[in-house]
Formats: sequence, C-alpha cells, structure tokens
Amino acid sequence: MQPQFSKAEVAHAPEGALVHDDATAKWFLVSSVAYFFIVGIIAVLIAAKFVWPDLMGTMSWLTYGRLRPLHVNGMLFGWLLAADMGLAYYVIPRLCGVKLWSEKLGLATAALWNVIILGAVVTLLAGLNQGWEYAELPWYLDILVVVAWIMFGLNIFLTVATRKHQAMYVTIWYTMGCILWTAFVYLTGNFAVLFTTGTNQANLNWMYVHNAVGLIFTPIGLAIAYYFIPRASNTPLHSHKLSMVGFWSLAFVYVWTGAHHMIHGPISQWLQTIAIAFSVMLLIPVWAVVYNLFATMKGQWHQLRESVPLKFLLSGVVFYLLTCFQGPMHSLRTVSAIVSKTDWIPGHAHMAVLGCFSFFAIAGTYFAVPRIWGKPLHSQALANWSYWMLMIGGLGFFTTLWLGGFWQGWQWNNWSIPFIDTVIALRPIWIVRFVSGILMFIGIVMFAYNILATAMGANEEAAA
Amino acid sequence: MFKKADNNALWAIGMSLVLFFIGGLLTTVVPPLVDTTWAKPFENHDPSKGITGKVVPLTDLQKKGRAIYVREGCWYCHTQQIRTLLADTKRYGWRGVDAPISTPDEFVYDDPHMFGTKRTGPDLARIGGKYDEQWHRTHFRNPRDLVKGSIMPPYPWIVNNPEEFKAMIAYLQSLGRGKDWRPANDYER
Repeated sequence: MQPQFSKAEVAHAPEGALVHDDATAKWFLVSSVAYFFIVGIIAVLIAAKFVWPDLMGTMSWLTYGRLRPLHVNGMLFGWLLAADMGLAYYVIPRLCGVKLWSEKLGLATAALWNVIILGAVVTLLAGLNQGWEYAELPWYLDILVVVAWIMFGLNIFLTVATRKHQAMYVTIWYTMGCILWTAFVYLTGNFAVLFTTGTNQANLNWMYVHNAVGLIFTPIGLAIAYYFIPRASNTPLHSHKLSMVGFWSLAFVYVWTGAHHMIHGPISQWLQTIAIAFSVMLLIPVWAVVYNLFATMKGQWHQLRESVPLKFLLSGVVFYLLTCFQGPMHSLRTVSAIVSKTDWIPGHAHMAVLGCFSFFAIAGTYFAVPRIWGKPLHSQALANWSYWMLMIGGLGFFTTLWLGGFWQGWQWNNWSIPFIDTVIALRPIWIVRFVSGILMFIGIVMFAYNILATAMGANEEAAA
Repeated sequence: MFKKADNNALWAIGMSLVLFFIGGLLTTVVPPLVDTTWAKPFENHDPSKGITGKVVPLTDLQKKGRAIYVREGCWYCHTQQIRTLLADTKRYGWRGVDAPISTPDEFVYDDPHMFGTKRTGPDLARIGGKYDEQWHRTHFRNPRDLVKGSIMPPYPWIVNNPEEFKAMIAYLQSLGRGKDWRPANDYER
C-alpha cells in the first residue's frame, strides 16, 4: 500500500472512528500563538530602534542588544517550534490511526516548554547571554530544552510504534527526522561548543545555526505542509517517489553546509568550498518537494480563493522555493562578497522563518484549531485579512531589505565611501521595514485573536 | 533500501541517522584535525615569512570586558573578521596601511568566538588602538555626539561604571593586536 492519502481516505476522514483527546496540541497551540503576539511587540520595537536609535535606549534591558536575542529566541522557540510541536501532536496520531501515546506526558512537556520560554525572557533581558547566535540561553535552560525534547520525541516515537497503518506517510518520516536530527544539532550548538574556542567553535556554532533552520524547522515545516496541503484541498499527494527523493537527499545534504556562513572568513578555504558545493546541492531536496506540492495542486488552484489555510500553505511553498534559491546563491563566493553581513541577510532569513515556516504553522493552526475544539473558526473574514496583512507586510519587509542590503554591499565594496554614509543611506529602507513590520504585526494580532476567540468561545459554550 | 523505510520505523530512524552523521562528522570533528592552524596561536618573529606578532591569552581585565561585550550584544551589529576581500582590508586599515586578513590562528583564545554575522556597525577585528579612551568614553555615552547619523544605542551605564568602562576599553584596545600591523605614524608610538 502506498503511504499517501487515498481519495477515499480523504473523502471520509478517518477521524470519525477515533476520538482524539488533543489536550497537548491545545496547550502547545494556544501558548505558541500567545508568544507570537508578545514577541511580535518586541519585533516592532527593534525595527523602530533602527529609525529612532534613542528610543527607550537609556534602560539597559530595553536596548537593541538585549531585545534582539529575545526576538530571535522567542519567535523560533516560543512561537514557531512550539506551534510545530503542537501540530505534530495533532497530526501524528491521526496518521497512525491511534491516540497519542500519552497525553499526560504531552501536557507535562507543554508545561515545561512554557517554563523554558519564560526563563528565556528573564535571562535574556538581564543580559545572561552565552554569546552564540541561536544558542544564547544559559546552560540550565539548555538542559531543560533537552529534557523537553526527549519527552516530545518519546511521545511521538511511541505513538508511531503503536500505529495501526503499517505504511508511514511522508509527514511521519519528516517528524521523526526532525526529532532525531534536532537532538544532535542542538547538542552540537549548545554543548559541544563549550569545549572549543575560536574558529573551531565558530564552525560548530554555524553547523548548529544553519541546521536549526535546515534540520529543525525545515523537516517539521515540510511535515506540516505535506499533511495539510492534501488535507485542506482534499487531493491526494502527487508522488510518493518524489517525496522520498526530497526526504533522503535532505537527510544527506543539509548538514554539510554550516561553513557557508563564513565565506571569505577566517576558516579553511577547502571547508568553504565543501560548504558551497553542498549548498548548491540543496536545490535537489528543495525542488523535489516544491514540484511535488505544486503538482498536488494541479487543477485545484481555484480552491485558494476560499481557503485561508491553502493560501498560507501555497504562499509558504513559493517563499520556500525563493528562500532556498537565495541560500545556495549566497554561498557562492562572488555573491557572498556583496550580500554577506548586509541587511539582505535578515530579509532572506525572515522569508525562510516567517514567509515559509511560520506560514505553514499558521495554516496548520487555522486548519486544526476549529477541528480540535469542534467549533467553526471565529471569523473567516478576519482570517483572510490576517493573510493579506502578513503577505503585504512580509513582501514589503523582504524586498526592501534585499534592495537595501544589495546597495549597502556595493557601497562597502567601494572603500572611499565612509562607513557612516552607508548607515545614513539605509534610513529610508529601515523606515519601510518598520512600516512593513507594523502591517505584519497587525496580521499577527488578527491571527492570534481569531484563534484565541475560537478556542475560548468553545470553552464558554462547554461551561454553559 | 529506501523503500524499506516506508514500513519499518527502525529502519527509517537508522537510515536518517547514518546519512546525517556522514556529513555531520566530516564537517565538525574532522576539519580541526586536518587544519591545525585552528588550534595553534599565531606567532611569527621572522619578517621574511610575512607579518610578525604573537597572539597572547586575554588578561582578566580584558576577559571582563569581553563579558560585557557579550552581555550587551555588541556582536549582533559588529563583526570581528577581516575577510579575504580587498574592500575589508582597505576599509578597516589605518592611516594608509591595509588591515591584515584575519586567520584562524588569531582567534584561538576567543571563547565565545565573536566573529559575528551582521555589520550594522563597522567591523571591529582591528579596532584596537585606533581610538583613545576619551573618544570611547564620549562615544559610549552618546555615539551621535561623535558620529552624526550613527544608530548605535547609548551606553551610559557602562561609562558611569568606572570598573566596567575600564574593562571594556581594555578588551577593545586588544582587538586585532596579535598581528603587528600598525603604521609608524600611529599616535600610540
């Protein structure tokens, strides 16, 4: 049997036979949506600081250097990873045809995750920063992350082990891959670095930073896209073979590319060349996935008009294609000489994490929350507005930073231009980025309100 | 081989880990064994072999300064690497002398490493000795008093804390000094 949704399976969703508890998914989704909103405020604030550098600048814990790690960690771990985990708790039992192995363990994981995020807020604002990107959290929180991850992994793997359907759909592989790879990638970036210095440490740091996106957010994000695109469009996946090509090439290729963060930098040239070669090979897993998902939508594109989850999902796939075309291109020495270290890079990073993976998570949340609570979404119109706000704000953000970053890179390469002039030149870019950020934030508020109103409305009814 | 992973979870787990570990080990554990300059501090006293100098461990005061640099997140906006680009060596040079390219052997004592990823402000790999203490004092108090158009935040709590300020300056003045590259007309000489 092919492990993909058959037409019959999609038409009569097999969820009716089995009542899922979904308590863990509920807690993860609600808290992640709340953090999306809270950290969104910080995001807008740091965008404003580029335009008005004295804004709230005399309090140490409100300076850019303290808020930026909170923005990055809050969005990555408080919002995105937590939402992805919540969706995994929803999706995996359904694909396995069984209940989640343990809701109790799941709820404990959700509680622990919230402790970690609140701990992160306090420590980062206090300046307790380890000094490695994406690995800023102090060691005691790192250990809690590892414990929470083992609890999450145990629950998912034991659910898979007790599955009713023998064949595993591609979403299950990606989720399992994410859990396994994250374990080692996280240990490298947060613990192995402790035993190294200088270039050696930087190499481990970039292995972690690159693979936090490539082997944590990519596989769990694609797991979500592979489940919700066929599900939301009532269409079977185009090709099982192609999904295999995408998955196994990702497993092999991604981990090699960390050194592309140090092109032209103080690290061995041959290691840079290896990283560049493998970065270009990333096009294989990416194009296999993108073709597969687009081909699934063949003849079904009209559904985008009515379905907000599909709008988010397919826009996310387009952003995935673009961001993963940029990535390999940036790694080339000539391109890197212009765009590296400039404002282009945050434009690129936000397209990956917001435009692609957050769009997938938002789509999954919009799809799953009404089904979990057994209530229609609070407002379809508001959901549609949230899409357009995030889309327009996002595009404004990405494109202005690319243009600005490219311009900045050209100016830096002309060393007769004083550095400060290249800063002053970017002010208009940062104003547009701030305005785009406000639009995105409005989109986040609409999304968060819609989800919480759906959930809380359901609870009120149950109480009455 | 891959087909088997469709139905067999243990097989899928094993395959995912094997494929991951090939690249994982070859790009993290192996490189420092192959390129020994990653672990050997720079030292050269023979001008015929290129630039001279010696990289030494940080003093306690400099380490304290680095901790402040880490705490305040200076490294989010300032890189510390002169790349193999003419633009970097020219722009971060001093009084007509090009800044030497940063090499791994200069950073052996850096923990945490401060290479950075983003240049919202200028690179600081060779900042040591370029500006005196009074300049830094004024600049930390309000960067815009010295550099019109700067978007660096003011850091009055560092300036107003003599111990922290002293440590910070000690760290900044040490940056990039392992290679003896400064011009003869440097004000420090």
